[in-house]
Amino acid sequence: MNTARAELRKLLTLPSLRLTALLTWTATLLLTYAYAAAESRGEPLGDAAALAPLGYTQAGFLVLGVLAAASEYQDGGQIHTTLLAMPRRLPLQAVKALALGAVTLPVAAATAATSTLPANGATWMPAATAYLTLTTLLGAAVAGVVRRAVPAVILLLGMYFIAGPLLRARPGSIAAAYLPDTAALNPSRGAAATIIWTLSALTLAALTFHRRDA
Amino acid sequence: MVSLVRAELRKLLGLPTAWVGLVLGTLMAPAVVLLNAPYTRRAITAGTLTDTSDLGLRDLGIGLIGPMVLGVVVVSSEYTSTSQNAPGARQLTATLTAVPDRLRLLLAKTTALVLIVAAQAAVTAAATLTLTQVLHGEHAPVPAPARVAAAILYWTLTALLAYAITLITRNGIVPLALLIINSTVVSVSFLLSKVTDLAAYLPDIVGTRMFIRGTDFPVEIAPVTAGLVMTAWVAVLLAVGAVLFHRRDV
Repeated sequence: MNTARAELRKLLTLPSLRLTALLTWTATLLLTYAYAAAESRGEPLGDAAALAPLGYTQAGFLVLGVLAAASEYQDGGQIHTTLLAMPRRLPLQAVKALALGAVTLPVAAATAATSTLPANGATWMPAATAYLTLTTLLGAAVAGVVRRAVPAVILLLGMYFIAGPLLRARPGSIAAAYLPDTAALNPSRGAAATIIWTLSALTLAALTFHRRDA
Repeated sequence: MVSLVRAELRKLLGLPTAWVGLVLGTLMAPAVVLLNAPYTRRAITAGTLTDTSDLGLRDLGIGLIGPMVLGVVVVSSEYTSTSQNAPGARQLTATLTAVPDRLRLLLAKTTALVLIVAAQAAVTAAATLTLTQVLHGEHAPVPAPARVAAAILYWTLTALLAYAITLITRNGIVPLALLIINSTVVSVSFLLSKVTDLAAYLPDIVGTRMFIRGTDFPVEIAPVTAGLVMTAWVAVLLAVGAVLFHRRDV
């Protein structure tokens, strides 16, 4: 319980996380407005307006996860202190994931509501909230393996915003059902992939954290 | 000055992340041309793809992650701490000890970045366009040298844009997130251009007008004007970045 409280406090006091959450929510608001404006002028922008803004602002959640995990490895090596206080690594990693999930959930819910409610997509809101929270955990898991924020961000954003759309755009492509971010625009098709990717990334992160020197 | 540029080149090429940008940026566009070749050929024979003058040049945009990463890490690497056990020790301290004149340092950094990105863009453009000629030679006309040069200029200006934003933020994540999201298939700038025609003058959209002729743009902008507008964006951001770098504490 103490560990959970400590991890929560660490996350809640990181200025970079607050800033990322705020920017992400603002960006969602702007994009939702852009989609609504285009719709009211009679030229909708293609994808379903309820979820499309989240397809972009999920980047903020990836960054949120990366910053939360990489902050332990930045200047000063906070991870050494953390491990001194809590030497059992697997329980620590589990508590870290739970704490990050708990902190992200309200942000994800607020962002999902901003995007889905104005577009009459309230039924998508729980799915979108869950998706954004899982995406944050995936980002944290990848950053836990890479241990540096900038390379982790390059890897994740390159995967989500460059490789993913390319793979999906190929005619007759079956990649869509296997990519972690398909669920952002098509929750019924990609949900399983998102869950499996996130769980595998978390497992990999826990194993490397368990085996590697800090 | 030459030794300064050489030092900056060595520093940049010594970064593993820079090599990720170099390799990804150079290989992505030719790989996509190769992978999409069957579909492109089918689209041409079926008559759904009639305007083939942008073939190859349009695919170059996919590799832009390369210049973006290079432009960001050339600055952000100076600001990350050199060791976990020495918080606050940054490479920039050593760099400024060697070169106290900050504007000269920036000039050398900019030169090194432009040299590397221009070389990368030239190699990528040559590979992508040659591949397009080999695969679809009978349908795709050879692009005019000026358009290829404009594409190389676009890559270089994109790198400088990333570089200037990083000089302002002193942190690599903000510019990377901003630029990579915006380089996705349907970019945010493109969405904005549906809302207001002014968005056509955003640097990434106006820049592509230098070498792409396609017609899905709200405002018609001549290639030279487009180049000047994007250069103006980069110049303003670089000026702000240079002033901040000159005035701020390390």
